[in-house]
Amino acid sequence: MKALLIDDERLARNELRRLLAAFPDIVIAGEAANAKQAREQLAALQPDLLFLDVQMPGQTGMELLESLEPPAPEVIFTTAYDEFAVKAFELNALDYLLKPVDPARLAAAVDKLRAKLNGAAGESAAEKSAARDRLAAEDKVFVREGDRCWFVEVKSIRLLESEGNYTRVHFENAQPQLFRSLNAMEERLDPKYFFRANRRQIINLSWIDKIEPWFSGGLLVHLKGGAKVELSRRQAQDFREKMSL
Amino acid sequence: MDSVLPTDVLFEDAARRERAKERLYVLCQSGGWLFLLGLQIVFVFALPSKTPANRDDQFLNVGIVAMVIMQGWLITHYTRPLMARWDWKALGWRALLPRILATSAVQSVVWTVIGYGYVYLVVGLPWTSKLPWFAATGLSIINGIMLLGGWLCVYFFYHLFDRLNRSEIERLRLATHVKEVELRALKSQVNPHFIFNSLNSLRALIDEDPARARQAVTQLSNLLRYSLQSGQLETVPFEDELRVVNDYLALEQVRHEERLTLRFDIDPDTLALPVPPMLLQTLVENAVKYGIATRPEGGEIAIIARRLDGALAIQVTNPGNLAAPAHAPARASSTGVGLRNAAERLRLLFGERASLQLRAEAPALVVAEALVPLHLTRA
Repeated sequence: MKALLIDDERLARNELRRLLAAFPDIVIAGEAANAKQAREQLAALQPDLLFLDVQMPGQTGMELLESLEPPAPEVIFTTAYDEFAVKAFELNALDYLLKPVDPARLAAAVDKLRAKLNGAAGESAAEKSAARDRLAAEDKVFVREGDRCWFVEVKSIRLLESEGNYTRVHFENAQPQLFRSLNAMEERLDPKYFFRANRRQIINLSWIDKIEPWFSGGLLVHLKGGAKVELSRRQAQDFREKMSL
Repeated sequence: MDSVLPTDVLFEDAARRERAKERLYVLCQSGGWLFLLGLQIVFVFALPSKTPANRDDQFLNVGIVAMVIMQGWLITHYTRPLMARWDWKALGWRALLPRILATSAVQSVVWTVIGYGYVYLVVGLPWTSKLPWFAATGLSIINGIMLLGGWLCVYFFYHLFDRLNRSEIERLRLATHVKEVELRALKSQVNPHFIFNSLNSLRALIDEDPARARQAVTQLSNLLRYSLQSGQLETVPFEDELRVVNDYLALEQVRHEERLTLRFDIDPDTLALPVPPMLLQTLVENAVKYGIATRPEGGEIAIIARRLDGALAIQVTNPGNLAAPAHAPARASSTGVGLRNAAERLRLLFGERASLQLRAEAPALVVAEALVPLHLTRA
């Protein structure tokens, strides 16, 4: 597993490096002291895992993640003391470590990560390398709104709605905005699961509850969770073709 | 730096209370006298006149009664500002009782003299009473004393009660204020984010540079001890505060390394002067947070202290702009609180002559300046 350490303090990075020496399967591929360096390192090293400090000069760790092209990498946050961040992590069950890092806590986080990667390895390793530009169902997208943040699994997204340069992502009980256009998202989504219903909306086909005929040859699609999406006649035709396959 | 000073709030409060009192007075004064007038008129008409033929007498009596009531109204109304000027509202019952008696006696004599004088001497109505004039006026004066004494008793009873009430409120307000100050003292302690980050760097330092690590443990202990203890002190010598700020900055340098450079320009005259504890610390922490921690390139923090006539001037500069970084709204407000608390403590201790301000100085330099008067002015 290739890891990238991102923290503005050299001593903090050293300390993490020392702690990670206990895990031979984690190879530290590089270090970055701020978001700008991190982006360069990410492009050059293609790491599997980030150890990411939340508070950094320039951009914060959250902002860095938000700006990355999905899918979001595996991330373990490190933070000294930040009530907001800790609350956000707890809400979304992301992994985070409090500095100074407790070695036992680090071991637990690494174990969790191993289990996850092994489980996903069978299907996604080949798939991922085959189509790096398409998001797989298990891939995650990092979304943040204010102090809350989520790693959303692509398959749990019911609906994406265009709002100018942003896209509103509907999943579970939340609908935060993603800093990407709907068109950019469409290019990344797997057409097997996602369908462009109209200019403004993309729906997840596996979340369809029922379909009814609508005005002038169109369709009205009800999604599980209550949203209704209109399809024009032309899109309805595409839709029928696609679904009849 | 606050838009609404607490004193303004107090004044506004007092003004509103005064207006409410004035309304209550007008209501009671008019209500009371009009009630009395109504009662008298009812008496005049209800009592079977001994000479029923004369209805004009009744109207004449109503006129006299109205005039007498009007006099009472005016006498009490104009006595009120006098009593306010003599500050009788601040007196206790024991001191008030003789004053009430004397005042009501004087008022009553004036009332009777004007009333009887006008009716019998100026207008010249015939004397119809069976009593001789001195007995009638004597009775009238005693009557007046009871009525006006009653008026005064109600008036002062209200004020005594109001004062009791207000002192209770004042006491409660003071108690909450003390609690608030204590709470703020707690909040002005060292930022936990800093403590844990320091501990983290310290742990790394143990392997890398054991001697420096030992030194850092000492510095962190000094800082924590100072921030815990100084909450109980009103002021500390500037020298003590400076020593702790030195420790704090040394720890920040362990964390930020070459990204943080320091410059001290301290006038030796200033070292013994009193400052509120954690004042400089708050300014410096703020400077590190905005000038260093948010900027990848870091920068220099300068501390300048001068003795001006009558005040100690402390300046802390850091690189950057005044506009809070847009990406850290939560943190921006938390320091805003720190600076505001520091400003308030400064004002509580030293009054309006103290000041604390943050200003931008071109190019890309932020200056925090505190003016601390040489003497406490608080009562």
